[in-house]
Amino acid sequence: MIDALLIAVVAAPPLGALLVRVPRSPGGADCVNIVGASISAALALTASVIGVLHGADGLRGSWFVLDRAGAAFLAVTAVVGWCSAVVSPAYLAGQGKGMFTARRARAWYYTAFDLFWAALLALVLVKNLGVAWLLVEATTGTSALLVAYSGAKNALEAGWKYLVLTTFGLAVAVLGILLLFAGLAPHGGGLSTLDWQSIARHAGGLPHQTALFALIMILAGLAAKIGWAPVHNWLPDAHSEAPPPVSALLSAALLPTVMLIAWRVVLTLGAAGEGHLAHDLIIAFGLASLAVAIPFLWRPMAWKRLLAYSSLEHMGILALGIGFGSPLASIGVVVHLAGHALAKSLGFYTAMPLLRNDPSTGWRPPRGLARRSTPVAVGVGVSLGTLSGLPPSPLFISELLILAGGVAAQQPVIVALAAVLMALGFLGLAHTLIEALAGEARGHRWKSGRAVRITARLTAGVSLGLVALTVSAYLLVEAGIGASLMGGVA
Amino acid sequence: MTGAVISGLIASSLAVLVVRRRSSAVVLVAVQSFVLGLYALTQHPRTSAALAVTGAIVIVKALLLPALLLLTVRRAPKERPIATELPALTRLMIPLALALALERMIPRFGFTSAGVEHTAVAMLALGVLTAVVRRAVIFQALGFLVAENGIYLAGLSLAGGLPVFIEMGLVFDLVVVVSVAAAFAAKIHERLGSGDSSLLEALHD
Repeated sequence: MIDALLIAVVAAPPLGALLVRVPRSPGGADCVNIVGASISAALALTASVIGVLHGADGLRGSWFVLDRAGAAFLAVTAVVGWCSAVVSPAYLAGQGKGMFTARRARAWYYTAFDLFWAALLALVLVKNLGVAWLLVEATTGTSALLVAYSGAKNALEAGWKYLVLTTFGLAVAVLGILLLFAGLAPHGGGLSTLDWQSIARHAGGLPHQTALFALIMILAGLAAKIGWAPVHNWLPDAHSEAPPPVSALLSAALLPTVMLIAWRVVLTLGAAGEGHLAHDLIIAFGLASLAVAIPFLWRPMAWKRLLAYSSLEHMGILALGIGFGSPLASIGVVVHLAGHALAKSLGFYTAMPLLRNDPSTGWRPPRGLARRSTPVAVGVGVSLGTLSGLPPSPLFISELLILAGGVAAQQPVIVALAAVLMALGFLGLAHTLIEALAGEARGHRWKSGRAVRITARLTAGVSLGLVALTVSAYLLVEAGIGASLMGGVA
Repeated sequence: MTGAVISGLIASSLAVLVVRRRSSAVVLVAVQSFVLGLYALTQHPRTSAALAVTGAIVIVKALLLPALLLLTVRRAPKERPIATELPALTRLMIPLALALALERMIPRFGFTSAGVEHTAVAMLALGVLTAVVRRAVIFQALGFLVAENGIYLAGLSLAGGLPVFIEMGLVFDLVVVVSVAAAFAAKIHERLGSGDSSLLEALHD
């Protein structure tokens, strides 16, 4: 039963991509895609609930594993994908010829979008490192086309940079996977050798040199795709040049989903006696990402570019949580992932009315939004307030949990450093938030168009979700399930 | 693997760094993929299914993907020499020095044959460096293929080879990535009138 449900979760978006080509009118294609996305998201959310309720060991099948952390990642990917599908028609309404000819552009957009989303949903579920790598690489091809969708020179540059850097990064990762496979081959030699549980079970018998190189190559390669500093160069460009619904999917679903794979690698290969190194490496990526991102959060910057650097900051915070590895930090990671996804995707969706009404926000920061459009100002406020970690947002709670998890993991120096960097990040974003809402307004009050109305509805939904997440953070800590979140692989 | 084959693989990877014509570079990489395919066919006692998979991989990597890249080159306007490109000798010497240094620095890390291990790492490095030192986007796409050939070689050295699913998956991913790269190359030519990637350097903070 669950097997069929999970197959449907992965198969529904590509099916939607096929059906989108049937209607002759753009409106018909939009409707078909939204209906398809709603079905896909409903299936994925159902699977998530089953995964959460099932228990500590998670659900396992011939090709999948679904534990509590996986269920949370699946739910986030489903929600962000659905929201992006819903706002896509508002973005596409203003687009003409770009990467594709005008007549085919919409069909290609939805095809690439649905395949990208399907690969992300599958990535969370697959129980095999080799298959996970193939899916990560598949996300690159589809999402690079989406990044360059507008066909503008900057979009082509961003898409090309993203394609080149992440593909070569993943080539390094696959060499590490081959090395791991060579080391584990005596325990099977088939595809199942790279199953998460098989790696965890047999990694202890790997030669030290093999385990060390495999770990470093796999994590370094995945870091290029996650956008951890110092291999993050593609991230600000791709996130700022992609269509806003795609930027949301990149930042709120792709980066965390690939990070889930890195987390699973740390947990399973850690059994080879390289646990300390794996955690130290992830912490180093986390601190580097925070340190690189913070100065940019203090600079006056175009809205989407600011959100992109904020993604770098939050991927750094998530890396610290994974690196600390304690139960409290693990709960912090899951809450942070969900809160960041909601707030960041809302931020990118507000870019649509922002850019349409004030194109100058494409190259300079927005100002005085409270006097120009109340719904957009509220959307920006909720998004940036949450991303800055303003209490009582769920990101405030999750950052505290991660830092407390670091103390529990006996990493006081790292915790102190991280706390200072997070505080600096908060101040930078808080300053931007004040300027964006209450700074001197440019131009007249905006009319309430389609993009503004959608933003208002999404803001209401996301706000409710954030409140629910804050409450659930307390409940998760009370329930003490931090140690069993990754029960499906460890 | 014989020394001659290893030398041929490295030499063709180095040649991609220096040749001027894009079509010549595509042919070089196609030949490299073909040689690797022949080597794969001589490895391990193979079942007919495994032979079919290897044959399919050879057709894709040595024929279809190079044909796609040649088509992209042919449909693009005639390329002028790229002014920002480094001199050929520099393009050769810098990657060669870096690849040799890498080969010396990295200790043995677990593949059965030292020769194959060093060659695979060198090809991966040369593929990456091709993307760094060559300015034309088609050459950067060829860097993917060189790097992937290095990975394929590493896979061939494994006792029993790679699982068929992974082998086919790697090729499928390569088809996706190279097709997308070809689409980008065509669009960049159309938009900029040149395939010079150094014209794509506007985004920075």
